Amino acid sequence: MMPQCTDQPRGKAVSRRNVLAGAIAGATLCLSSLSASAQDELVLAFIPQENPEKLLGDIKVITEYLSKLIGVPVRGFVTSDHAAAVEALRNNDADISFMGALPFVIAEKEVGAEVILSEVYRGKPVYTGRVFVRRDSGISNMEDLRGKSIAFADPISESGFLYPLQSFVDAGLLKQGEDPKAFFGEVFFAGGYQQAMQAVATGLVDAAGASQYAELLLSADQQADVKWIVESDPIPSHVVICRMGLDRGLKDKFVAAMLTLNNPENKRLLAHVYSPDGYVIADPALFEGVRALARAHGYLR
Amino acid sequence: MCRNPRIRASFLAAMTLALMLPAVLFHGRSSTAHIVTEVPWHPVAAAYRTAMFMGDLKPVPWSKIRAAYEKANPAAYGTKSAQQKLTELDAALGKEAATLIGRSIDGQDRQALYAATTRVLSRAIRIHLEAAHASLRDPSAAAARIASARDLYRAIEDFIRQADNKAFGKLGRAWLTLTSSAGTSGVLGGGASGADEERFQQARQTIDAYLIANFEPEVFTPRGKLTPLPETVVASKAPVKIAPWLPPGSSLNDQDPLPLLVLNFEMQGIDEKDLPLIAYGDMLFDSPEIFGDPATSLGVTCSTCHNRSDINRALFIPGITHQPGAIDVDGEFFNSRFNDLREDGLDIPSLRGLRFTGPYGRDGRFASLRDFTRNVIVNEFAGAEPTPFMLDALVAYMLEFDFLPNSKITGEGQLTKAASDAARRGERIFKQPFTEMQDNSCASCHIPSAKFLDRRAHDIGSQTGSYAHSQSTAFDTPTLLSTRFNAPYFHDGSLPTLASVVEWFNLRYGLGLESDQREDLTAYLETIGDADEPYEVYTGRHTPFRLAFEELTTFASTLDTLLPARDAFHAKLMIDTVSADLALDAAGMANTTAKPMVYELADILADIGKAIDAKDWPQAETRWASFKLLQDKYDAAMY
Repeated sequence: MMPQCTDQPRGKAVSRRNVLAGAIAGATLCLSSLSASAQDELVLAFIPQENPEKLLGDIKVITEYLSKLIGVPVRGFVTSDHAAAVEALRNNDADISFMGALPFVIAEKEVGAEVILSEVYRGKPVYTGRVFVRRDSGISNMEDLRGKSIAFADPISESGFLYPLQSFVDAGLLKQGEDPKAFFGEVFFAGGYQQAMQAVATGLVDAAGASQYAELLLSADQQADVKWIVESDPIPSHVVICRMGLDRGLKDKFVAAMLTLNNPENKRLLAHVYSPDGYVIADPALFEGVRALARAHGYLR
Repeated sequence: MCRNPRIRASFLAAMTLALMLPAVLFHGRSSTAHIVTEVPWHPVAAAYRTAMFMGDLKPVPWSKIRAAYEKANPAAYGTKSAQQKLTELDAALGKEAATLIGRSIDGQDRQALYAATTRVLSRAIRIHLEAAHASLRDPSAAAARIASARDLYRAIEDFIRQADNKAFGKLGRAWLTLTSSAGTSGVLGGGASGADEERFQQARQTIDAYLIANFEPEVFTPRGKLTPLPETVVASKAPVKIAPWLPPGSSLNDQDPLPLLVLNFEMQGIDEKDLPLIAYGDMLFDSPEIFGDPATSLGVTCSTCHNRSDINRALFIPGITHQPGAIDVDGEFFNSRFNDLREDGLDIPSLRGLRFTGPYGRDGRFASLRDFTRNVIVNEFAGAEPTPFMLDALVAYMLEFDFLPNSKITGEGQLTKAASDAARRGERIFKQPFTEMQDNSCASCHIPSAKFLDRRAHDIGSQTGSYAHSQSTAFDTPTLLSTRFNAPYFHDGSLPTLASVVEWFNLRYGLGLESDQREDLTAYLETIGDADEPYEVYTGRHTPFRLAFEELTTFASTLDTLLPARDAFHAKLMIDTVSADLALDAAGMANTTAKPMVYELADILADIGKAIDAKDWPQAETRWASFKLLQDKYDAAMY
């Protein structure tokens, strides 16, 4: 089977302007998919870490591999962001998407998406968010950050916003749902882990909220200059989700193919799917905390 | 939402890291073991930095500068060239870039090149920001434009930080404000927020104003060096110190897999800590402190090129290395005083079995390893004159480099029972005289009982003479031991495999070897060049960090000799190397929770250095005793 790598989803391009139209059309398409006994291709949506062009090479490698194992052409495309990926699932423009836990619980609620695989890091399908400061800042606890500036990664991020922020709520420094500016002097969204970590390492802000592993995005000498002072509760790792109504046989084949990436001889391929240590079958119950937090912040209606 | 909650952390030496900061090469000193794969660049940013770097080489490689703009850069994302990206962004800008940059290259005018490329870069950033502003009703579109502008700004950001730190802070906060005020689409409305256009506008104005004043002035002050600096800073003639930097696509990473180091004393079970001269030489081999800038700041050491006594197939610096694993060590960049004004890059030779392989240098120009080593330090990499002790130590250490153990040949170079039939047939061809080679055989120069070399230079026709009727080309016969793992071959690395070497000789000398004969001869070369274990194998807690930790603490053990001798100079050199390396190496620990312990050990070493500076030797000895206690205490966590 010949894999394909394009920058377009199945069907026409998706934009947020046709959300309503998509929602109506989506119901129909889902029904038609449910009734289909087989698909002639599997479409994967990838969400870019930074510039979408950076992902294209990775997509080619992984779709070629999956095509051979699954027996149908596997095609991948890069979405502009999580919203576009979720819309592509809803509109049947994509069958599968790689995604964070927060957008997954929104996709689950809004378009019936199903979580099928979880990324594994150091033996667990969870990680944490942390608040980093410069080692020489004199800041040693959460209270020290009152009135200070902080750069979070992104408002739609578990480890880069919601979970680190929740640590301040749990400590009684912020009320649930309260504007973070009620505690911090300035709040920025830097656009990603790397930008947030750079902001604190170079002294642009006093603190950064990011994944526990974001420290590794700094150069070696910069890493020696920062420390973390807050660690969140465990967060479910990023996931692979599928659209409602995806043919069960195809889904099972995809899951089985993805799990072969755990085999030692295939580990190198993990670098082409965001570099986890491996994958496990996802446990939907693991996301209850994310659902609760998303509800608390109004992300889930 | 960010991808990649965990960025793989394996990796000191030669391991690839999925997403790491490009800034690593530009934040003061770094060490070879810690340099990691750079994040792909925006094609225009990659072309710009490549052009500025190459524009400072002498002679300027103008054709490579042109290619930097007209061809896709391997260090950039996507498949489009800088010129294509500029045209795609704005047709008028693309046309202007092609005209002005092309004219400066045609005219070989460095100042015009700086002006044209700098203005184009700055304009491209501002065009993206203008488009982002116009897209604020669509936060995703605005975010994409801001990201592109930011990717372009990356080309000059570190220079602004070093030359105009106050502006760097102001601009940095403006970029944070841009991303924060552009709003977010959320996911299906969840988490969505609108843009704050007023804040966005203010931040954009801050960036625009700085760029126009500093990167798009009507006239640029004449530049001696093309490192991009804000015009207002240059015009003010304020002193500016910029850390040495390398162009996109450069790699000082160790090769992966890491070659196995075979030290003669170690194979005999002797502890390096009981050999302080050799341990000190080992430290110097891994120390950028023995060189001068730019090598020191970039963390270049002997082992940068000679990983674990072998080669570094990954080493690459555009403009300086003609292919990975090669380098021109007498060019403008590392020591302008030693610039021979010739593009004559050499494939990095292995140092295995060094005590048998003299004379030294690809053409055998140095009879003495000591002279060769001094030339590397002082001339090639601009270091200060080494002390006799340093040279003694380096030479003592390098003379311990052994070839890789190979059960397929004897010490006399004869095949053992473990060799294949093909290799045996190949051996006969290897030893067969050819009239086309003046009745010489391969073995005439590669003498099996003499470690497969004859310690002489020969002109075999592998390079054309540098001028008419010259006698200027001959190269030292290389050993064939351990060579299966250090391809490519020949002085310039022009032959990728041992099979291609056989093919080259067959054609060059018209030997008439049939296909099966060539295969047999290749099998023989692969057999005598083989090894039982060629590479370092990491398992469990034997991680790259553990390897580095054991080495660094061995280096530190020389304080047992240096402190009682009150040898301040050599003790400080060691401490400056090991303290910095320990802290940097911690970045690659698998056991990340133990990082603070490593920083603590590094701090103690730094304290010893301060005590030595203060001539407080008792304090230095007290702190050294503390170091050893803590080292024992933390040992199990050091992986």
